[in-house]
Amino acid sequence: MIAHKRKIGRFPWRYKESLVFILSVIIIGIVLQVTIGKVDFNLFRAPVNIITGVCIVLFLAIFSLARKTPFYRWFSGVPFSVTLIGALLAFGLVMGLIPQQPQADSQQHAIITLPGFNQVTSSWYFVLVYFITLLSLGALIARRLIRFNIRDYAFYLNHIGLWTLLFSAGLGAPDMKRYMMYVKEGELEWRAFDGDRRTGYLPVTIQLNDFDMEVYPPKLILLNRLSGKLQPESKPDYFPVGREKTNGVLGDWKIEVNNYIHDAIPDNDGTYRSVAIPAAAPAANVTATHTATGDVRKGWVCYGNTVQPHRVLPLNSDCCIFMTQPQPRRFLSDVDVFFKNEPKIHAVLEVNKPLKAGGWTIYQTGYDRKAGRMSAYSSLELVYDPWLYPAYAGIALLAAGSVCLVCFGNRKKKSYELE
Amino acid sequence: MSWSEFLWFAIPAVICWLTAGTLVYLNKKDSAADLLMVAGIIIFAAFIIGLWIGQKEPPLRTIGETRLWYSFFLATIGYFTYRHWKYKWMLSFSSLVACVFVFINIFKPEIHSTDLMPALRSYWFVPHVTVYILSYAMLGAATITSAIQLVNINKGKPDPKLYRLMDNAVYVGFGFLMLGLLMGAVWAKDAWGHYWSWDPKETWAFITVAAYLVYIHIRLLKPDAKLALWILFLAFVLLMITWIGINYLPVSQNSVHTYTN
Ligand code: HEM
Repeated sequence: MIAHKRKIGRFPWRYKESLVFILSVIIIGIVLQVTIGKVDFNLFRAPVNIITGVCIVLFLAIFSLARKTPFYRWFSGVPFSVTLIGALLAFGLVMGLIPQQPQADSQQHAIITLPGFNQVTSSWYFVLVYFITLLSLGALIARRLIRFNIRDYAFYLNHIGLWTLLFSAGLGAPDMKRYMMYVKEGELEWRAFDGDRRTGYLPVTIQLNDFDMEVYPPKLILLNRLSGKLQPESKPDYFPVGREKTNGVLGDWKIEVNNYIHDAIPDNDGTYRSVAIPAAAPAANVTATHTATGDVRKGWVCYGNTVQPHRVLPLNSDCCIFMTQPQPRRFLSDVDVFFKNEPKIHAVLEVNKPLKAGGWTIYQTGYDRKAGRMSAYSSLELVYDPWLYPAYAGIALLAAGSVCLVCFGNRKKKSYELE
Repeated sequence: MSWSEFLWFAIPAVICWLTAGTLVYLNKKDSAADLLMVAGIIIFAAFIIGLWIGQKEPPLRTIGETRLWYSFFLATIGYFTYRHWKYKWMLSFSSLVACVFVFINIFKPEIHSTDLMPALRSYWFVPHVTVYILSYAMLGAATITSAIQLVNINKGKPDPKLYRLMDNAVYVGFGFLMLGLLMGAVWAKDAWGHYWSWDPKETWAFITVAAYLVYIHIRLLKPDAKLALWILFLAFVLLMITWIGINYLPVSQNSVHTYTN
């Protein structure tokens, strides 16, 4: 190979020079990190990020005049791109192996925190390599656009799409705002908290009219009341109630579900009846027969909730049938949203169904887990991301490029195969 | 239909596939192998459809259920690739690996829960998981190809056609991988508020994508063939960590995307 005979540093540059270059950048990044701390994204809030973006584009346009030079060819060429992607992969591995912390109050060792291995995405080396990737990819696109060839559409879709996405996601990150709001049922709320638990006053007020939740039918399990362990200990049995099957096995007991009420509340005589109110909870009437002795136990089980008692079916001195906590199927908040000087917006928020209004997106995120359906509040997240649409444009181009890859595979012969 | 009927479909499918995988090597006329392979795929598909109808939700949530699709697509893609490229080992290998996944499901069924949590109840769910499984099957095939090529190289006679097959499989598999990632991003925006949060599962998805990008780009210049083959192998190891191994990493405690009980 020619590369081996060539002295390092002399053009054309290849992998060795690329590696030296990237390693130097990473070392500079680590030194900056240790000396001045992590990158403060707030410095790049609009309009600084917009100016940076314009400068990047202008730089690429001017730089493209030098596209015939060996430096440009290297900077926009394969060995450098492979090295860049490799560096990003290495950062990914650090993030994938060391738990990342959004806040600074870390319990980790200084070896991890000092070079920022617990907050890689706001470290200098990550930001620098990300920035250089943006420039390198941009230079490549400029070079290939100048000698435009429509047959390379897959190349354009993939690389321009990725560039647009990296550009908008990177420069847009400082402008993104995320707040949590905890709204009590029947009340108005305007205070919101950011990631550092600081209160922010947003141009929006939310009133929670109603919080509701649907749950899946729960499961029956066999519990040892003394040890608190599920039975049989080696491989615990479980039986889903409220489905087609009404009989099954829990350990040594055959069980038969006589009656399942999804919205049950207790009656005075110890039975349950169906009433569709938030205080209702799933309950099941079960007959259990011991497979060896033939003993029969019959009764109601119910997980209960904050207002209903918990009920188990005792089988013998230490075992009982227990109902698991019903898991949520969906939970929803009926809200009125008021933006300053705008008419009120009525909406039902649900996971996967946020409300987009006034430049903000409002998400249903949580509720009081202990109270479940009886939760007295609903937690909502408010997100503001003005760079979302350019990012989506990048995603759309990339998706089109991926479809090309799927449909055509690797049609093009590699240049070295043509010789 | 439910998991209790799995054996009635799994065993006939496995018999069809394994017989087909053996017959291609024995018979000159391989229509018997073709027939058996397709029969196995249809039997297996019938179970998946039955299960889907039976539990009223797409069987895509638990690892056991995604393994079903993995077997199905490995057999299907393996069959079509064999038809196109005429490599007999392609048929045998993919049916063997498909059967291994069937057996894992028989002996270690992780099928406990079929209740979808609220965040998973979205129209993105089925396409997102399906393209990922297609991608895993394609990239799995590429990895097998690279292993065979490595053996060929050590014997001193690499097969140039294999490089073409490998590159094609990677391009198609990578296309699916990106589609899965992008759908995941758009879905995450609706479910969690941002399209990319560097959650551990997302981070590992990024690592996997980056590894395959290294392979794709390193192959553009005349590469050290062995290096590229090893990168492909390594990329598949990373893919497996993303898919399965992540549940065992300490970072996964912070992930919103690990659904094991
Ligand atoms: C989704 C991401 C990407 C995909 C699917 C992709 C795919 C491809 C493909 C298929 C080619 C060969 C096609 C052709 O030359 O016409 C190519 C070439 C290339 N790519 Fe990428 N790529 C991606 C990201 C990147 C990134 C992040 C970089 C740089 C940091 C990069 C740099 C290059 C370079 C330098 C070439 C060689 C083109 C030339 O020299 O003219 N690519 N890419």
